[in-house]
Amino acid sequence: MNVIISDTPHVRKRRTTKNIMLDVIIALIPAVIAGIVFFGYKAAVVLIISVASSVATEFVYSLCLKKKPADFVRNFDFTSVITGLLLGLSLSSTVPWYVPLLSAVFAVAVVKMLFGGTGKNIVNPAVCGRVFAFIAFQAVMISGWADAVFGPVEGSIKAGATVLTSVLSEGVSAMGLTNLDLFLGTGLQGCIGETCKLALLIGWIYLGIRKVIRWEYPLIILLCTAFTTVFLNKADFAYFLPSILSGGIFLGAVFMATDYVTSPSSRVAKYVYYACLGILVAVLRHATKIEVVSFVILLMNLTVPIFNRIFRPVIFGAPSIKEKLKARAAKKEAK
Amino acid sequence: MKIRKGKFLSRGIRLHDMKFLAKDIPIEVMPAPEIISISLGQHIGKPAVPVVKEGDFVYQGQLIAQADGVVSANVYSSVSGTVEGFEKRPVANGAIKDYILIRNDGNYMYRPLDPLPDRNKETVIARIREAGIVGMGGAGFPTAVKLAPKQTPDTLVINGAECEPYLTCDYRLMVEKTDEVAQGIRLIAKALGVTKIVVGIEKNKPDCIEKFASYEDFEIVVLRKAYPMGSEKHLIYSCTGRKVPVGKLPSDVGCVVNNIATAYAVYEAVELDKPLFERVMTVSGKAIVHPANLLVKNGTRFDDIITHCGGLRDTTAMLVSGGPMMGPCMISTDLYSGKTDSGILALDSSETDSRNPSPCINCGACAEVCPMHLLPMMIDFYTQARDYQKAREVGGVDNCISCGCCSYVCPARRAIVQSITLCKQKLASKG
Repeated sequence: MNVIISDTPHVRKRRTTKNIMLDVIIALIPAVIAGIVFFGYKAAVVLIISVASSVATEFVYSLCLKKKPADFVRNFDFTSVITGLLLGLSLSSTVPWYVPLLSAVFAVAVVKMLFGGTGKNIVNPAVCGRVFAFIAFQAVMISGWADAVFGPVEGSIKAGATVLTSVLSEGVSAMGLTNLDLFLGTGLQGCIGETCKLALLIGWIYLGIRKVIRWEYPLIILLCTAFTTVFLNKADFAYFLPSILSGGIFLGAVFMATDYVTSPSSRVAKYVYYACLGILVAVLRHATKIEVVSFVILLMNLTVPIFNRIFRPVIFGAPSIKEKLKARAAKKEAK
Repeated sequence: MKIRKGKFLSRGIRLHDMKFLAKDIPIEVMPAPEIISISLGQHIGKPAVPVVKEGDFVYQGQLIAQADGVVSANVYSSVSGTVEGFEKRPVANGAIKDYILIRNDGNYMYRPLDPLPDRNKETVIARIREAGIVGMGGAGFPTAVKLAPKQTPDTLVINGAECEPYLTCDYRLMVEKTDEVAQGIRLIAKALGVTKIVVGIEKNKPDCIEKFASYEDFEIVVLRKAYPMGSEKHLIYSCTGRKVPVGKLPSDVGCVVNNIATAYAVYEAVELDKPLFERVMTVSGKAIVHPANLLVKNGTRFDDIITHCGGLRDTTAMLVSGGPMMGPCMISTDLYSGKTDSGILALDSSETDSRNPSPCINCGACAEVCPMHLLPMMIDFYTQARDYQKAREVGGVDNCISCGCCSYVCPARRAIVQSITLCKQKLASKG
């Protein structure tokens, strides 16, 4: 008789890495659709190029490691599809074809595969790819924002500026758009995926329901950014919504910062980490007057080991922090 | 009647308990086969020393191997017949142990132990030791040792959680032998010298809760349905609100934990003068033709038990000895039952999952469910890197109870429990 011999436990939860990654892809679909509706076929071209080159890079890399193509197909876990999608979504639809291609190759080959592949990268590949694009192709990246096809923004914003940069440099009164416009993305300029916050919100809710991420993680980032921005602008709550509805913070908070691999391990560490990330975004935006979300995520990714070291869960049965403080106080009194 | 809800255990996992397969099937006596093979190492500690020779005639209930030291247990013959010889054979987890072979004459000539003159603390403990009773939940720790802790306990906690999926042997005992189990619990309490008895029962056994609630001297705690609710430390926390400190034993917080099957064995040993040579086992799983709860004599071949239950279906994918969370896989059915075997499971491919591991994606699911609040992914990582000290420091490997929750949830199908076991062994061998 043939029976399977394997390790305990013999019953397992149905969820696998592949399922999780597919869930993330499903959660990104609304944003992809919104991007294509807003920016036309060019957006689709950018997304296709970046996803295709991400997957191709991983394939070529595995061939270089002398792995069989069949093995590649069997072990393929869709992480490079997500990298490609996120990278494409964080680019403008007007970029030339080589920008998504080269950034995707950089993101997958250098940032992910060189460090050991899935689960071993120390920074988020998509974010790193975007930063790479910004630095390597500065001219095309900053000059060419496309207008979304909807909305009434003729002349309300200076050429070459996003809503965020004008808010940052001239204050919220110069925005010329309602918060609803910002939320729906009508009449905005910007990256393919960052425009329609509604689509991202749907993705967020999906991830929360499927328990891929805890729903409060992006909320922590957004609230910290919003409140810090308000605080930095002398408690002017007019900044509250624009600060989170403009720029890349929404996409970053929901999909990029919550990436498993580049987040701390325990839940408490995650809470603190996301709070720090949100605050840092607001502070650096205020100081530099440009969009900094991807840089901040990159920076915070590098600090993950510190968070892991400081915030460890209290072992069941070990004295909690409260009890420790009490014991310390009791000792002092005894002295 | 005292019923209260147990303290909420925030971690752990919720499983499909699959108990419906064998839950409503009454305990049935499994006829002993012609040849039985009784292990000398059915407990933690040194194996027992045989006191019979080849060719000897033994009665059912006769001592055939004597405990060697304190942490060891007597072994009794489960049938009457002649001793055929001695042999070495592997147990389910692969370790090689000594066995005594006895040819069953089919007469079941039974010789009980000498009747107890009176029932005080000392005589009950002596009887428990004499009858070879061990913790029947799976650990196999001699009960007599457990009942004489260094610190005087004030509470006896009875583990009626039975949190492992599929297993229903304790449930059946609670339903069918309620009075006997209750009497056994009282005897254990007497041996310990405690008056406070807490019985923890999981919420999915409402009929047991109802039955036990009729006893005035017990406090019934309704536990949340979660795995590992039956782990000593978590059971104590849920039942009494006390946390066993890191590196300490339950007796340090004044608690002693025993399970239902052990209580029943104590009842039999003290009231009926019957040594421990048979126990209730659950035979379950979707690949078994007739799931059952059987009263199995020690040393019965698993193959015979499965045949008695109608055999295996063609869809059998895996055979497990014990519960599916902690029990080892069986390579063959050529194994023999013992005091600690709570079940045999035949799982089909829809129930089990043995995909190959992939890289850790640091999703943190294992840390979210770890009932000991450890960082299993860190232990796994450092063990793979052969840095065992770091695994101890960062992950807290010493506190692991090997419940398997981390491996259960791991989306990358990593063998985290095995990593932890390896790490513990390496740390122990280094000292």
